[in-house]
Amino acid sequence: MNIFQHLGSDFTAILITLKLAIVTCFFLALIGTPLAYFLAFKSKKTKPFIETIVTLPLVLPPTVIGFYLIIFFSPETVLGKTFILLTGEQLIFSFYGLVLASIIYSLPFWVQPLQASFEKIGRDTIRTSYSLGAGPLDTFLNVIIPLCKKGFFTSFIISFAHTLGEFGIVLMVGGGIHGKTKVIAISIYDHVEQLSFGKAHILAGGMLILSFIILLTLFYFNKRTVVRVK
Amino acid sequence: MFNLSVLLKGKIGNLFLNFEHHFKSDGITILYGPNGSGKTTIISALGGFINNLETKIFFNGNALHEIDKYPPNKRPFGIMFQNPILFEHLSVEENLDFVVKRNQLKTQNKSLISKEYLINQLELNSLLKRSSENLSGGEKLRVVLARTILKQPNYLLLDEPLSDLDIKYKAKLLVFLKDFNKKFKTPILYITHSIEEISQIGDQIVLIKDGKKIDSGSVSNILNRSSFVDLTGKFESSSILEGIVSRHDQNLHMTTLDLNGQKLIVPGLPGNLNDIVRVRIRSRDVLISSSHIKTRITENELQGLISSIKIENNTAFSELVIVLKNLKNNRKKQKLRARITTYNLKKCKLSINDNVFIYISSVSIDRQAYQSK
Repeated sequence: MNIFQHLGSDFTAILITLKLAIVTCFFLALIGTPLAYFLAFKSKKTKPFIETIVTLPLVLPPTVIGFYLIIFFSPETVLGKTFILLTGEQLIFSFYGLVLASIIYSLPFWVQPLQASFEKIGRDTIRTSYSLGAGPLDTFLNVIIPLCKKGFFTSFIISFAHTLGEFGIVLMVGGGIHGKTKVIAISIYDHVEQLSFGKAHILAGGMLILSFIILLTLFYFNKRTVVRVK
Repeated sequence: MFNLSVLLKGKIGNLFLNFEHHFKSDGITILYGPNGSGKTTIISALGGFINNLETKIFFNGNALHEIDKYPPNKRPFGIMFQNPILFEHLSVEENLDFVVKRNQLKTQNKSLISKEYLINQLELNSLLKRSSENLSGGEKLRVVLARTILKQPNYLLLDEPLSDLDIKYKAKLLVFLKDFNKKFKTPILYITHSIEEISQIGDQIVLIKDGKKIDSGSVSNILNRSSFVDLTGKFESSSILEGIVSRHDQNLHMTTLDLNGQKLIVPGLPGNLNDIVRVRIRSRDVLISSSHIKTRITENELQGLISSIKIENNTAFSELVIVLKNLKNNRKKQKLRARITTYNLKKCKLSINDNVFIYISSVSIDRQAYQSK
């Protein structure tokens, strides 16, 4: 049997999954980076509190987050109402609902490696840069980002891979609507339920290989960086 | 000329800081005090990195404590932090250029400190193309120092810059700093724990303890004061003598200094003929006798008068202050501290206003004891 015949409807799922991962990482960069910076350098008293909130998605069952997001996204809430007003569409069961859910779910995966990376270069590096006449933005672009390349790379890779593999939250918030919110993980689930193992094999095998390559890239480059430092 | 005054008040960690000083010298001012006395905090505050203290900093009439107007990147200081940091993603030369690029406008009214001058003086030529990741401690320090100075700062703040260097290199860098200061008239605030460094390059000194200024003045005055001895501990007690080079013995490598008519022979060739040279004499190296000793036990025999005796009740020692005899009356009197056992003090029956002979072995005077003026 031809593999491409099998893929047919699953192809949309693959596109949606990749789009979700890319858009999520884009917003994580915008939200997670300042948050990591804040946690590494600025906060003192509020740090444990914020760290707890950022880390919660790591320990909570996806169904718990999914449940609260469904309530939070429902058309009766301010957020839900605003979204309908802006797009004419419900936030829940929409692609942007998925994005919002993924951002929350993957936030610790963006923040933690980057925060560690910021903490490693330390406050003294930033002070040195300021004292040499570079302002905060100049310092961030020309000192912090180049010195934390590895951290950014790790955050991106891990968040991307993690978003690809979401299941629970995506199913609850998105509903697995074909062509809209049905991602690879849900397609696999559906195939298995319908006992079409052949189709499941292709998607699952693809995910396995992709994840393997992504992580291998990460560890390969990070290892090299470490070797170069020494 | 410049004018820097600092007032810092408030609690930081366990320290209650209440520091006020007006920096006037365009030479090198030493900030000296025990660990945790607030020295580094003062430099951080000058840099604009401390916001939870009551701060007043005026530099040439500018209120630098207005942080919105003078954020850390717009202050006129060149700061070398205790942990010198190079940007490891840049090569050595790119590290230097980092600061050149960002400070090109400031160099109008000052004589420009050129990159070439620093590369030469600090021997950076062979390092320029290297990555800054794998430099040795000493190499890194020289690059950081060059980068700090290339900012063309109006005031240089150095926080224990040479503490990790070996003695040979330290001496070189001290000479460089002194020359740099004289040549470009950039004043330096210099934190150090080393009494050798103080006597070698310090012009002024500010003593600080528990966040408060204890004393301040010229190095030669302060080092002879009890406020300084209280900080250093008695063992490091010393005094500074000032003499004019009157003779060099090139064969034996000895120099004769004229101390108001008395002679002090010291090893090495510090300074040129007729230069004023300062020598630090450790109090424990000073031997005293009430009568003249005929055998030439040491190279140096000086005469003086005991002006004070302080017997320490819970140790074996006593501290004497001796005013050296002035054979030329036109110059100020020089004081010498001596630390002897109370046992010896009693045995020799020394008391205030006694005339004494002072014996100092030239061996006890090492190269680090000199300061050229």
